[in-house]
Amino acid sequence: MNAITTEGLRKSYGDLTALAGLTLDVPAGELFGLLGPNGAGKSTTIRILTGQLRPDAGTASVLGVDPVDDPVGVRERVGVLPEQESPPSFMTPREYFDFVGSVRDLDAETVDARVETWADRLGYGAKLDTMNTDLSRGQQQKVMITAAFLHDPDLVFIDEPLANLDPIVQETVKRVLRDYRDDGNTVFLSTHDIDVAADLCDRVGIVREGELVTTRRPAGLGEERLLDVFLREVGADTDALDDASGGAGAGVETGADEGSDAGEGSDADGATGHTEGTDAGPGPDTGAGR
Amino acid sequence: MSADRAVLAAMVREEWRLHSRLFGGRRFAAFPVFVALVGGLTAWALGTAGTGTATVVAGAHVLVALFGLQTGTVGLVGRDAMRGLLGETTLVVFSAHTLPLRQRRLLGLFLLKDVGYYAVLLLLPLAAAFAPLLPLARLPLLWLTLAWTFTLGLCATVAVVALATRDRPGKVVAALGAGAVVAAALAGLPVVAATPYALFVAPGFTSAVAAALPPLCLLCVAAFAYDPEHEPPARTADNAYRAWQRRVPAWDDPVFVKTMLDVSHSAGGYWKVLLSAGILVAVSAFLVSLAESVVGLGVLPGVAFGSVLGLTAFTTYNWLTQFDDPTTYATLPVDTAAVFDAKRRAFAVLGLPTGVAWYAVAALWQGATPLDFLAGLALCVGLQAYLFGLTVALAGLQPNEFLFDTVLFAAFTFGVAVPLVPVLVVGFVAAPLSTPLAGALVVAGLVLAGVGHVLYGRAVPRWRERARE
Repeated sequence: MNAITTEGLRKSYGDLTALAGLTLDVPAGELFGLLGPNGAGKSTTIRILTGQLRPDAGTASVLGVDPVDDPVGVRERVGVLPEQESPPSFMTPREYFDFVGSVRDLDAETVDARVETWADRLGYGAKLDTMNTDLSRGQQQKVMITAAFLHDPDLVFIDEPLANLDPIVQETVKRVLRDYRDDGNTVFLSTHDIDVAADLCDRVGIVREGELVTTRRPAGLGEERLLDVFLREVGADTDALDDASGGAGAGVETGADEGSDAGEGSDADGATGHTEGTDAGPGPDTGAGR
Repeated sequence: MSADRAVLAAMVREEWRLHSRLFGGRRFAAFPVFVALVGGLTAWALGTAGTGTATVVAGAHVLVALFGLQTGTVGLVGRDAMRGLLGETTLVVFSAHTLPLRQRRLLGLFLLKDVGYYAVLLLLPLAAAFAPLLPLARLPLLWLTLAWTFTLGLCATVAVVALATRDRPGKVVAALGAGAVVAAALAGLPVVAATPYALFVAPGFTSAVAAALPPLCLLCVAAFAYDPEHEPPARTADNAYRAWQRRVPAWDDPVFVKTMLDVSHSAGGYWKVLLSAGILVAVSAFLVSLAESVVGLGVLPGVAFGSVLGLTAFTTYNWLTQFDDPTTYATLPVDTAAVFDAKRRAFAVLGLPTGVAWYAVAALWQGATPLDFLAGLALCVGLQAYLFGLTVALAGLQPNEFLFDTVLFAAFTFGVAVPLVPVLVVGFVAAPLSTPLAGALVVAGLVLAGVGHVLYGRAVPRWRERARE
């Protein structure tokens, strides 16, 4: 069963096209990463799927709910961690969690128990009564992570989850996300950090100029690296990258891996054709199947 | 020097872009014209009503000094205040951490930029607005003294902010300084003689030197006291959210409770709501005394205070939304309509009682008759409800955007003037109040409340749709 399904999503801001017909499926229980350069449409995708934005065209379903028709209903079911978002300045984390708990109809005991667990896990228990505006960016990010998971949702949308976090907490968050997935939940992660996507995700979709151009399973890439696939798919000037790195090579082997990208031709129509048959991964990539 | 010029140019450009982006794009360019028009009309109306030119000029200097004080506060209290007002914003003045520039020098350039920017954009059209009242040859001097008054207010804030970086000793010095000025004024010492206003009244070398000294002294204090490495301690608070829930379980509306916490936890707490309404009381008292003593009208204090205090709706709604970011709710299962409803509830709890309490104090102090009191009360409540609806209709959850968006501000001014001017005129000319007229004013208050309700009801679905575009 798919946790997320989209078909031909389009969204423009004036003359700027953010999404140009995005089609994708994410099966329940998958840790899916949406990877793309800045401005590729990743955040817009999350905002549409969580009912914050209305698409110009196309359809979407999140846990069986249409985010266009029932935006509040979607957000009741999912957790959202937006990029660069801070908790309200003039509340303490504890007050903010009570606020989020009230919005989500959680009783005080449940909120207390979950806050204690998350504060211990992420290491900010001593800051629970400090005004949010006086927390560091990293601490604010931890508060936002806790708020996204507070109601134990079946699906979370996370935009750049590891930004501002120190390496130790980054590892903790990665472990939390994997455990969360292992419990049968779904993670939809947006990032431009290739290492994070390669390390964390079961499957990665690469977006370019508002379209999904391919999906890959990082674990099944073999000799090929996700970076190589990414650079090729987003049309990066790999010669320039080579020059910039003094010819040492950013590992961009544009010619060698063409054969493995069997799906390139079918990408022209969007991602629907880019299914298990085109992915080079070892197992059937059932998630992408339509 | 070339670095200073480059920084100054960048700051001026930044200020312009900030305003034009926040407040209506190119429409912001019409702001000076709007200031000149409104200022000119006001000066003409006051002059026609018999108010002395000296009084109007003095009032303009007071307003400009207050604006200088406020501008210095916004510019210098740091990133958090800027973020609260403008969202995630980084200004050139904060670039000492990333560029080889001294913080003190940046602040000096920041002040210079503010003085130049506002002198041209705001004070020049304001001075031009006095053309109906003053000889044209006096207008350049008026512009100079208004700009210098703005500088005085700006320097006073900068000095206080700089002293505050020295913690308690600095704050004591600031309090002593302010106390000394107030004490001197109360003791009858010629404090005004050391202001730019005195230079306008009696141009000459002595008055020019006297006017120049206070800002220079304040700048010296600021330069000496300012500690660029000062970091205020992190603030902590007990969990007030649950205290609110326990206090009034029937108000178990998360957005309402959050709104109340935003107001109480931000600088000034609930007192700022009371104080901002108190300023309107002072303005009302000034208007009433002006009408009585200068124009010679017998004023109905209840109707007059009730009408003017209806304006507290705008300032209160501003406080209820200023510390909130609509994106907070975008990721939660909260409908935009529920956010507006919570703001309305908070307004009913905080705004209406504040306006009514001040009204009661002012009307009773001025000796309103029972009939006058009742009519004024109905107008006070009705106008507040109307202005709440009007503000929501025009600005949604961000009434701050009013201030410099010329078109929005003009629409708001018109929307306020339509009901306010007629009832104010009644308050100034209809004494003693007859029972039928009192009844009509009560009905007018009810009608205004109804119009506000309709405006609110129509606006919310529109903002709800716009939030998702």
